[in-house]
Amino acid sequence: MDILLQLTFAGIGMGSIYALVALGLVLIYRATSVVNFAQGDFAMFAAFLMVLAHLHLGLPYWASFLVALAGMVAFGLIFNYGVYYPLRNRSYLPVLISTLGASIVIQNSVLAAYGPHPANLPGALSFQGFQVGSVFLDGQYLVIIAATAALVLLQHLFFEKTIVGKQLQATSQDKEMASLLGVPVKIMIAITFIYSAVLGGVAGVLVGPIIYVSIGMGGAIALKAFAATIIGGFGDIKGAIIGGVVLGIIETFGAAFISVPYKDAFAFIVLFAFLMVRPQGIFGEKIAEKA
Amino acid sequence: MRYAFTTTVLSALGAIMIVGAAHAADPIRIGMIAPITGGAAESGRNQINGAQMAADEVNAAGGVLGRKIELVIEDDQTTNPGAVLAFSKLTSDANNVAFIAPVRSTQVHAIAPDVLRNGKPVLFGGTDPRLTQLNNPWFFRFRPNDAISTKAMAEFGIKDLGKKKWAIIHTTDAFGASNVKLLTEALKEQGITPTLVQGFTSNSQDFTPIVLAVKQSGADIVASFTVQDTDQGVLAKQFRQFGVDAAWIGSPTIVATTTLKLAGPALYGTYALADYNPDSSPEATTFSENYRKRFNVQADFFSAWTYDAVKVAAVAIKNAGSTEPKALREALLAIKDVPGAEGPYSFNANGDGLHGYNVVRNQDGAIVFVKRVETVR
Repeated sequence: MDILLQLTFAGIGMGSIYALVALGLVLIYRATSVVNFAQGDFAMFAAFLMVLAHLHLGLPYWASFLVALAGMVAFGLIFNYGVYYPLRNRSYLPVLISTLGASIVIQNSVLAAYGPHPANLPGALSFQGFQVGSVFLDGQYLVIIAATAALVLLQHLFFEKTIVGKQLQATSQDKEMASLLGVPVKIMIAITFIYSAVLGGVAGVLVGPIIYVSIGMGGAIALKAFAATIIGGFGDIKGAIIGGVVLGIIETFGAAFISVPYKDAFAFIVLFAFLMVRPQGIFGEKIAEKA
Repeated sequence: MRYAFTTTVLSALGAIMIVGAAHAADPIRIGMIAPITGGAAESGRNQINGAQMAADEVNAAGGVLGRKIELVIEDDQTTNPGAVLAFSKLTSDANNVAFIAPVRSTQVHAIAPDVLRNGKPVLFGGTDPRLTQLNNPWFFRFRPNDAISTKAMAEFGIKDLGKKKWAIIHTTDAFGASNVKLLTEALKEQGITPTLVQGFTSNSQDFTPIVLAVKQSGADIVASFTVQDTDQGVLAKQFRQFGVDAAWIGSPTIVATTTLKLAGPALYGTYALADYNPDSSPEATTFSENYRKRFNVQADFFSAWTYDAVKVAAVAIKNAGSTEPKALREALLAIKDVPGAEGPYSFNANGDGLHGYNVVRNQDGAIVFVKRVETVR
């Protein structure tokens, strides 16, 4: 029983990270119909900003976090104008390739600027975690779960209760119609990129203390996040979150009870199963309705 | 008249330049494949540093055969295709007389057919024992192979630490898979069957299932074979979090500089078999001091083996009196008791240069030399 609880905790912790990254993927997909292959690198980039501010410039943790977030705002804006904007009138494929290229550029820029050594970013809490019975609750995992929940709630309020949120929704549903109704579509898309970059950044800063801050840290997470969005229903926000958490739990249990080396495979077996049986995912609308 | 003069001057200049080029001895070029980008980029830098330091020392002492040693470095991107590509790029230049190949066995396997075709000595650091059993006359290993390390591991764990219940954790690549086989054999020789054998793929983000399995198995000693320093760090942290207090003896990654920095106290008290330790010999000590002076970081096995590879290659070229591949090969095979940072080099017919291992202990973050175990050549 203790082992099941421990595994569930680890699964939800990792799953929350997939969910955070997946959330950013979904937002950009909804706004631009493009899968952003650099989403994992957003996480990596922010984690390195945090390392730079906290470990090298010696800023306090919270201030470094703000620096990292501010950096991601600028980063999202540059990404919007550098990677997406010039190709906005083309089909999704050139943009997709453009994000793939951006991913390589980001990774190698960080490599050139920071060097190849991974960094040890301390966690947000000053203690390691709690021992509850024989279950150990890692403090950073708790922070991640709490932060994911809070962000999801905030996001819901933002999209449903504010004018900008509603304009963003309108843009993602039908750009032309939104434009006709006076929604500044260009600005809305820029905001989407900024918001996605910040979300990815939060994920990176949160996961850094667990898996260390390294140039390749975003890659594996982004791949799982992508799987999570398909399981949840591509383009669906609550689907991305539930998909992420489900994926985290499935791979942790699969590793514990079936095979550790095939841990990554479980995520993709589930992905294949969904693609075959329910390609629209848990919450996704049928593709036919979109046409 | 003036025109004629100019022509004369120009042709004289040209002649001087040609003669000059012929006289300034061309450097002896050694091609080097290293991970400059990709997952192992941090170890790539150390490997390049070690090799460069050796080349500079040889050159400062007058070079070899009156020529300087020059390294030609190609990036393998930490991948097998990258290594193959880098090797083909390096071999396309006939001026490269020998090559330093990757430290990862899987990459050395990947270039093995090309090494055979190319027919020039390749000095490598991968520790999979099979690499020197491929009947490939051009392979020379500059680290002790895993058969030696696992034998030393089993002996130290059973005899010195008195542990009988072994859990083995390993990566599922060539390095990890071959080590598990060898350690299991070495343990069997001592009448022990491991209680748990668990593989994982490199770059895992979470080790909860493995750590729980180790805890449940009741093992009193853990042997680990990891490649990535980040994996080693996460594994160590989770071992401590879940209260696993078994003795722990690991592959060299457990004492690599970056791993120590990442994992900190989580690795205190662990043992490792390290092919390199600064206190294992006077040569190792000198290397360590010079390396720190030059690069301001602690030397590790990544930098030590490439340092030795260049140094020993220089000795072999000098003994051979030429850079001709066959002569160089004979000279390398004839190397006997040449001291290096990793230990004394004596090549056997298979091309294995080292035959001993150092047992070290992580004493509150400092790596302390425990003993050197020499096995039969």
